[in-house]
Amino acid sequence: MISKIVKSGLTRRTFLHSTAAAAMSAGLPGASLAAGSTIKIGFLAPLTGAVAAWGKPGLDGCEIWAERVNAAGGIKLGDGSHNVEFVAYDNEYDPAKARTGATKLIREDGVSFIMMLGGDTWPGVQPVADKTGMLFSTLLPSDLSPDTNTLIAPAEVHPIYNVTGVEWLAENKPELKTAVMCAQDDALGLPSVATYLAAFEAAGIEMLDDPLLFDPATTDFAPVVTRLISKNPDIVCLDTCYSDYVHPIAEQLFQQGFKGQIISCTADFYDQMIAKTSEEFMEGFVFQFPDFDDPALNGDNINFTDPNGFFAEFNKRHPGQWGAVSWEYASIMDLWKAAAEKAGSASPDAVASAMKQGKGKHAFGDADWWGTELFGIDNALVGDWPVVAIEGGKATIKEFRSIPDWYAKHGDLLVKHMKAYDQMWDQRS
Amino acid sequence: MPKFLIWIAALAALIALPHGLSFSQQEILVFLTINVLLVASYRLLTLTGEWSLGHVVIMGVGAYSSALLTKKLGVYVPVSMLLGGVIAALIAVLLSFPLFRMKGFYFLIGSFAAGEIIRLLWKRFRDPFGGAKGIKGIDPMPDFSVGFYQFDFFEPTSYYYFAGVVVAVCLWILWRIEKSPVGLTFHAVHWQDKLAQASGVNVRAYRTLAFAIASGFAGISGALLAHYVGTINPNAFDIDLMVFVLTWAIVGGTATFYGPILGCVVLTVINEVVLRELGLEQMRPLIYGAIMILSILFLPNGLESIVQKLTKRRAAGGAPERSPAE
Repeated sequence: MISKIVKSGLTRRTFLHSTAAAAMSAGLPGASLAAGSTIKIGFLAPLTGAVAAWGKPGLDGCEIWAERVNAAGGIKLGDGSHNVEFVAYDNEYDPAKARTGATKLIREDGVSFIMMLGGDTWPGVQPVADKTGMLFSTLLPSDLSPDTNTLIAPAEVHPIYNVTGVEWLAENKPELKTAVMCAQDDALGLPSVATYLAAFEAAGIEMLDDPLLFDPATTDFAPVVTRLISKNPDIVCLDTCYSDYVHPIAEQLFQQGFKGQIISCTADFYDQMIAKTSEEFMEGFVFQFPDFDDPALNGDNINFTDPNGFFAEFNKRHPGQWGAVSWEYASIMDLWKAAAEKAGSASPDAVASAMKQGKGKHAFGDADWWGTELFGIDNALVGDWPVVAIEGGKATIKEFRSIPDWYAKHGDLLVKHMKAYDQMWDQRS
Repeated sequence: MPKFLIWIAALAALIALPHGLSFSQQEILVFLTINVLLVASYRLLTLTGEWSLGHVVIMGVGAYSSALLTKKLGVYVPVSMLLGGVIAALIAVLLSFPLFRMKGFYFLIGSFAAGEIIRLLWKRFRDPFGGAKGIKGIDPMPDFSVGFYQFDFFEPTSYYYFAGVVVAVCLWILWRIEKSPVGLTFHAVHWQDKLAQASGVNVRAYRTLAFAIASGFAGISGALLAHYVGTINPNAFDIDLMVFVLTWAIVGGTATFYGPILGCVVLTVINEVVLRELGLEQMRPLIYGAIMILSILFLPNGLESIVQKLTKRRAAGGAPERSPAE
């Protein structure tokens, strides 16, 4: 059958038809939905390995989301209500395995939408996305480019939101004048380095040294931290380090007697960090990902459904596992559900089109589709983002700040530093 | 059954194989085919008694070289794959000067350090290597038709056939090398290096030769990978993959040509197909580790020892031993 298809020239349409037919003939759910059937959503992220902390808790959150939606009657499309189910594939943060996973989810499982972490794995999947027209989401908008219009970044504009933390620090702790930074030298670390450099420059905070880029295989962080704090900075910035790095770096900062301010993109499993250091040491640690039992999330501006209840249920099922991504994939599903119901269809084209009509219902408030300057395409949903600080051993939202407002004032700085690190969409090789 | 009939049956089975698999299993089959060449080339190096921790990085040299030749110079993909192998072999020759001042454990550590230096160079020089993000949008193998079959290299089946032919030719060359006087000298360098040296064999030259040949074929496997996935980055050739290569070689056994290949096939099928199909997605590292420990405990000579036992038993059953009186 494939030979016949390829002989006649494989188009997106023939591809999807053949996929549906193949799935049917294999006794698997088809790509087109039957009335009342279950809608399948693909979850293509690292579930094992060093980056699993940004995959597994997200899948756990999605399972809770699906149970809640199904209990409330499912997803209401033009042909009736459908339950929703997640099909996961562990890509181990490897582009080749991500390609295999995307192929499986689309051609065998007949999913209607695929959520990814993105990063190193996206280039492996991109040819599959281009060929099939499947709608994908990424948590890392640095994956976006005009080459693929079926990739969206609707949950987080990593790393751009990191500017809000620095801006908040500069306004609330003006005595902090100098900073140093470290990051793993990879696709996740570098755009974040450029963003923090822009944010520090905009805030008038001096960088005492070039960012210290360490190899992702690093396991001993004592020399990294020794070099970091050798210039006696007011702020140590941990960039977007994986939690496997944030924990040992924080431990080393504690052991080597650092008394200043720490800022980081994430502080996943911060309770463990407090246990390894002390409550006093971690007091005032600034990062960007709140616990969802925070009262600030009960405001009218918040679009995430019942954040407190979601957090309680997550912690009941997975105690101690709440992290940066626990709610993010679920919040993408909120957007996808609203768009599918608006379109009356789960087909990727219809959902993508409905999703981008007007303002987007981002978890932290209504937001705009944005990104042409940085990503070459308006496929990132950008609005407010919370600044979180640890107070009394608990993550607390200090304030919501507008990313577009910061960008309007300092966008040129961000572009400058992104260019210096070859992170603009047209610089990627 | 005559031997050529067995080969024809095996060839027919390999041609039919992808059509009995699901789409994702076809994808895994492509990567498995590429990894077979990687591990078989690794065994050639081990013939001289040296175990390297830089083989996967050398594979990456082939991948980067081929990708850059097509992207920057517009070289035709099959030619760039071949050149990727040649460049990997040349880099190995360069590395051999410092590395073959060492032996055994020191060579192992030295090869790891050399590999890390190469990986760091890929990261440091964003132009031309793309830095930590690596290179993406690598030209795929151009589609073509052979009349009865249209090769569309987005499709795993097409790429499997292409990679299968390339790997089969490479394996045949590796096999011929091992069975040639050069291959026998490799064995001598491993087991009787003093005697070989006393017989006039330039031990270091033969170690370099084995290293260069193994690296050349590893480079071709890297090029095959790069032009299929369309992206490469330094992390794709890190110590994690090297541990997998070592595991395939150790679990399969390195006494025979097919041992490491057997290890690669069996462990890949278990890890990527069986455990995933059983819904043990997130427990795979645990179970994979347990299988490795058990195989080392109960099959110290590798999976190849099972095949050897079976073939010996079959040979004994087919042709009963004659008594001296007869």
